Amino acid sequence: MSLAASGRVDSLLKATAIAAFAAGVASLAVGAWIPVKAWAAQLLIDAAWRREQTLSQIAVPWPWADTRPVAKLTVGEGRAAITLVVLEGSSGRNLAFGPVHDAASVAPGALGNSVIEGHRDTHFKILRTAKPGDRVTVELLNGSRSVFVVTDVRIVDSRRTRIVLDADAARLTLVTCYPFDAINPGGPLRWLVTAER
Amino acid sequence: MNLRSFLVSLLWAPLLAVCVSAQRPVFAANAIEDTPSGTLYLRHSGQEPVTEALRLATRMQVQVTGNVARVHVQQEFSNAGEDWVEGLYVFPLSKDGAVDELVMRIGERTIRGEVQEKAKAQARYNDARAEGRRASIVEQERPNLFTSAVANIAPHTTATIEITYLETLPFRDGRYTLNLPLAITPRYTPGAPQDATAQMPAVTAALMNAALGTTATPEKVTAARQRVSIEIELEPGFALGEVSSLHHAIQTQSAPSGKRVLLHTDDAPADRDFELTWTQASAKEVAGAAFAERIGGETFALLMLSTPQQLDEAVPAREVTFIIDTSGSMQGPSIEQARAALSMGIDRLKQADRFNVIRFASDYSKLFSSPQPVTDKSRALASGFVAGLTANGGTEMRAPLETALSSPADPEILQQIIFITDGSVGNEAELIKLIHDRIGEKRLFTVGIGAAPNAYFLGEAAVAGRGSYTFIAERDQVGARMRDLFAKLERPALIDLKVQWPEAMSADLAAPLPTDLYSGDPIVVLARMPQIASGEVVLSGLVRGVKWTQRLPLTTVGDASGLSKLWARERIGALSRQMHFGGDGEPLKAAIIDLALKHHVVSEFTSLVAVDDEVVRPSGSPGHVEQAATSAPVGGAWATVGFAKTATAAEIWLCAGFACLALSLLLTYTRFRRPALQRPLA
Repeated sequence: MSLAASGRVDSLLKATAIAAFAAGVASLAVGAWIPVKAWAAQLLIDAAWRREQTLSQIAVPWPWADTRPVAKLTVGEGRAAITLVVLEGSSGRNLAFGPVHDAASVAPGALGNSVIEGHRDTHFKILRTAKPGDRVTVELLNGSRSVFVVTDVRIVDSRRTRIVLDADAARLTLVTCYPFDAINPGGPLRWLVTAER
Repeated sequence: MNLRSFLVSLLWAPLLAVCVSAQRPVFAANAIEDTPSGTLYLRHSGQEPVTEALRLATRMQVQVTGNVARVHVQQEFSNAGEDWVEGLYVFPLSKDGAVDELVMRIGERTIRGEVQEKAKAQARYNDARAEGRRASIVEQERPNLFTSAVANIAPHTTATIEITYLETLPFRDGRYTLNLPLAITPRYTPGAPQDATAQMPAVTAALMNAALGTTATPEKVTAARQRVSIEIELEPGFALGEVSSLHHAIQTQSAPSGKRVLLHTDDAPADRDFELTWTQASAKEVAGAAFAERIGGETFALLMLSTPQQLDEAVPAREVTFIIDTSGSMQGPSIEQARAALSMGIDRLKQADRFNVIRFASDYSKLFSSPQPVTDKSRALASGFVAGLTANGGTEMRAPLETALSSPADPEILQQIIFITDGSVGNEAELIKLIHDRIGEKRLFTVGIGAAPNAYFLGEAAVAGRGSYTFIAERDQVGARMRDLFAKLERPALIDLKVQWPEAMSADLAAPLPTDLYSGDPIVVLARMPQIASGEVVLSGLVRGVKWTQRLPLTTVGDASGLSKLWARERIGALSRQMHFGGDGEPLKAAIIDLALKHHVVSEFTSLVAVDDEVVRPSGSPGHVEQAATSAPVGGAWATVGFAKTATAAEIWLCAGFACLALSLLLTYTRFRRPALQRPLA
């Protein structure tokens, strides 16, 4: 191989290596940014929650937000318990910031099925260990608290199932994607945790 | 850069990146694509966005003359969009209606539809659609479920079609009832996806049926309210007593020959069937009526009479098996009504009776392994069982019906099955055949529950089970309707019914005479005779072992009364019943087509099609198909939501990031490992 050709290969290798490095760093940044945003948003939303509760005025978590906190959800017990603030409206944007309450369903604690959805890899990671008998507590803005007990945990295919909103009792349905470790975010399966008061 | 420092930087990179990006406005970023969820709209195709350009308004005008109603259903398809649209609508109609007219209105002009064989009508419609002419087609999907389609609706215009049908209004359980179905309970078909509102491409109903099989549910049903207005001219031919509407607030005006009933659903709900009942002012027994129409050298006759009321006497011992539907479609008020009806049914049992309760949804379970005598203990067990019933799951009716029908026969006792359901099944024919084949000496009664039960299935199941039926639409009706039912249950009020025509003429009955008639049930006979008939018709039978006769003078009516169409509709119903019960398909189908074409009525094999000559869309595409939503009944399980996308792309980004870094590492490593000689001198 001539020296010139070897030089060309070498600079090509170098350029590719630099490009791959840059792309890698950027991708990692985007990937790492998602959980950071999910965590930081909860802090801001929690502040908005407290403002709304103490000042009893409609508080938005940040000036340009198009949603507002509706409930505080505590999953798990004791030290493992995690408290999350639930936002109104199940849009992809809201889901990035916290679990969301499907506006078509009743408020948590009311008669009927209240649907709350969250990301499997951020806020609702905790549902992985949910099992019948676990307690889920919901606090509303007016301070009322409802304690639900998990009655059923199942996996459904979202293409063939819909959640029925009518229920004879106060029911809570927590939804997240399944499997928890899947790489592809667009999978059809959902992990459904049903809790009743 | 050595390898070690490279690896260290690799570890730091993400953290650094986070710190850098944290300087940007935090929440304006929209990391994940907005995913619509919780919508009940269906997509037109995989790619097209959800647009709802099509609006539909329905107007019904009803003319009630004596025992016959002529119903005009006007459907107005409005295209609010910028493209040409083909409108499609699935709608419920009376299960006994003879649909005989389709009129398409374009400005001042009207185009009348023709009855043609289904495939021919479809071809004609499709050609007109492709050529850019206005066209419309009305097809029967099920006996009480129809579709209409209108092609080439120009942007920002409205197309109006009017569908007309005839039906008889029998005197039943002490009243006349006009039922105008407005909502559809989504049907459950065993083995199909659980929810009828699940995403399904809105192609034409015919295509849908071809793709999904005849038992699939083509309805696009939403909780959305339809706009409906109803106007009824009531001329019963006698002084009216009470006129009442079950679910809707109505306005009534007195008219010279009867009453005018008006309903506008701007403020009245269309998520339940419209039901108008009326009685006679005087309480005397309804005399019954016999009409004859002469058409084309033939006479068509209609006899209507109520079954004689029986006196309250000692009732023979019975074995009653209650079957109660606890499937998902029964959720809400329906299951409450069903539980109340069941409790009342158990309460009314007597000491000498035996009973059992079977509940079903996706599976079924029995209260007792076999029917038990009525004791305080068995009643207590039953009330506990009933109180614990909740509605959830599929509608697998076959197994519980088989169980109830296969209990050992006992000639000493009346064996009755009371089937409480909304009938929201797609495999109607299979179930009706099962009942027909296995009923033996047992009798099956159906109790239809909810704001829009499947009346066709409930009626046909009762015919196949040689019993009768009743409907409970509201919680406060349970008592009255269960009393009607129990009056029927005591035993058949009239058996061995015979009809003698004037001049001993032999008549061609549209359907065989019923073998058992129950208290409060109507006698409706439609017949065709070769000669002109006048004189008296004599009906006879046995009431509690005693001969009963009734004479009715035959009144001749004009040939616009449509008795021949009613006869044809009834005969078609009888023929398709034979088909479902395993009759020879091809000759029966040919007979149905002949009848439908001759009498100009829609059937499962014939459709109404109307095509305009004028080309309104000279070029371009006929646009997309849009299906107008059909109203779902109130309070049911159709209020559902879909799922949001509940996973982030974080993992994919991290994986991609690590893959890129690994590649970069590999390249750098390869570069440094190459023999020094081949490396250019720096």
